[in-house]
Amino acid sequence: MYVLGVETSCDETSVSIVKDGKDVLSNVVLSQIDIHKEYGGVVPEIASREHVKGITYVFDKAMNDAGLRYEDIDLIAVTKGPGLIGSLLIGVNAAKVISLSFNIPIIGIHHIAGHIYANHIDNGMEFPLLALVVSGGHTELILMKEHYDFNKLGETQDDAVGEAYDKIARVLGLPYPGGPIVDKKAAHGKDNLHFPRPMIDSGDFNFSFSGLKSHVINVHHNMKQRQEEINVEDFCASFQEAVTDVLVAKTIMAKEKFKVKQIIVAGGVAANSGLRSKMKESIQDIPVYFPKMAYCTDNAAMIAAAGYFQYIRNNKKADDLMLNGQSRLNLEG
Amino acid sequence: MKKLLKQLVIDTATKHIFLSLIIDGKERQFTYEEGINNHSVTIIPYLEEMLKKENMTLRDLDQIIVGIGPGSYTGVRIGVTVAKMIGYLNNPEVYTVSSLALIASAAEKPFVLALIDARRGNAFMGLYQNVSGKIVNIMSDSLENIENYKKGIQMDYVIIEDGKPQVEKIINSELLIKVKDIHSLTPNYLQVTEAERNLHNETDH
Ligand SMILES: [Zn+2]
Repeated sequence: MYVLGVETSCDETSVSIVKDGKDVLSNVVLSQIDIHKEYGGVVPEIASREHVKGITYVFDKAMNDAGLRYEDIDLIAVTKGPGLIGSLLIGVNAAKVISLSFNIPIIGIHHIAGHIYANHIDNGMEFPLLALVVSGGHTELILMKEHYDFNKLGETQDDAVGEAYDKIARVLGLPYPGGPIVDKKAAHGKDNLHFPRPMIDSGDFNFSFSGLKSHVINVHHNMKQRQEEINVEDFCASFQEAVTDVLVAKTIMAKEKFKVKQIIVAGGVAANSGLRSKMKESIQDIPVYFPKMAYCTDNAAMIAAAGYFQYIRNNKKADDLMLNGQSRLNLEG
Repeated sequence: MKKLLKQLVIDTATKHIFLSLIIDGKERQFTYEEGINNHSVTIIPYLEEMLKKENMTLRDLDQIIVGIGPGSYTGVRIGVTVAKMIGYLNNPEVYTVSSLALIASAAEKPFVLALIDARRGNAFMGLYQNVSGKIVNIMSDSLENIENYKKGIQMDYVIIEDGKPQVEKIINSELLIKVKDIHSLTPNYLQVTEAERNLHNETDH
């Protein structure tokens, strides 16, 4: 089954064709990261404008790369939320025009389901499994007992991990997006600033990063006031160690409690090398999977992969053409 | 049998969604409806219904005429995205037209000030004239203070903010601009985003 995936929930315009939820025939991503860099974050109105600009080009390239015609497509899977509403509407409406033009069934996909299924492209899924979803907008632990069955165990009570990374980077005078650069600097620094590990002993599966963020900002401010020398690399290392300690500890706790057979890490922060190595070192009795770098950040291949399983699981029930984008959307349905 | 010209007009730049199916120069089906932030929900179902009534598919269309604004940014993007995708997938000719010209076509008086409110005393405005069955632009579309724009108008005019467009006046006008490369089609926003403005102000000072 050839699934055409469409993803425009934030600042990447992406179209992909994936066969049977696994074989990626094409995955075109038009990233706006250089445009938003100047503003220190994604500007929604600019993101929407860029999606309209690039939308047909991205479809055209994805079809050409795959060597298929629209008549060959069996299903259209488009991100319907959560995300920036103005951005979502471009992908949803473009996808609906294809559905109407070629009479192809269409389904709306939850963006986080996409991030989770990014793992299916290179690795299998064995249930029950635990998914740690970490990105600029999300930090959650999800238990899956079978395909397309999501149980949220816990989530962040305030900032998402990626968001905290961006803010820390800004305070340290590092460019946007903060994640990759803080990760890089951390590799050369020492964890010597003794930042707190928020909620590590809370006993539940929730997270909180805004307290840690404020703490780091305060320490930085005070050192500056006292004109102490600030070692950016140590700041990054200390922050990254604190964050990854919490993420790994909660993941292990959930792993023990639900006796899962595998762990998958998903979302943009899954690209973080500190998190990758700590997860792999700390958990050795069951496999820990990370998507390939290209499938960590937003892309349509993951949406097509998720779409295949959602469609099968729902007995091939399609959405109607009233399908719309939603800025907020519950994964558990 | 002579092949009849089949045209589709799309405009979503205002709180009204407007779709019109024209066959051989005559409007055969249309949708003109007020919708609160739901053009994204209704546009494709309405389009499907209109095509069905005429026993047509998107592939039968010879021409698409799309209102590219100015107007509500989120709204106008819906119609432009749909027109762009139909153009890309089905290869009809695509033409753009001012959404203000479409509004102006609803009026009967000779001189018409088409206006879409943009808050704080500002509006998207364009002055148009009804001339023997077609619409002509007199003062170009602009986003500015309403009173300022009005000061520049010398003749008697009526203000119009909504009303079902009379598409014959549009398809016969010289206001249609042919889109040469479908990938380049974008709305006419008439202004840069606030973020871009702030950034440029920072770098200027
Ligand atoms: Zn994402």
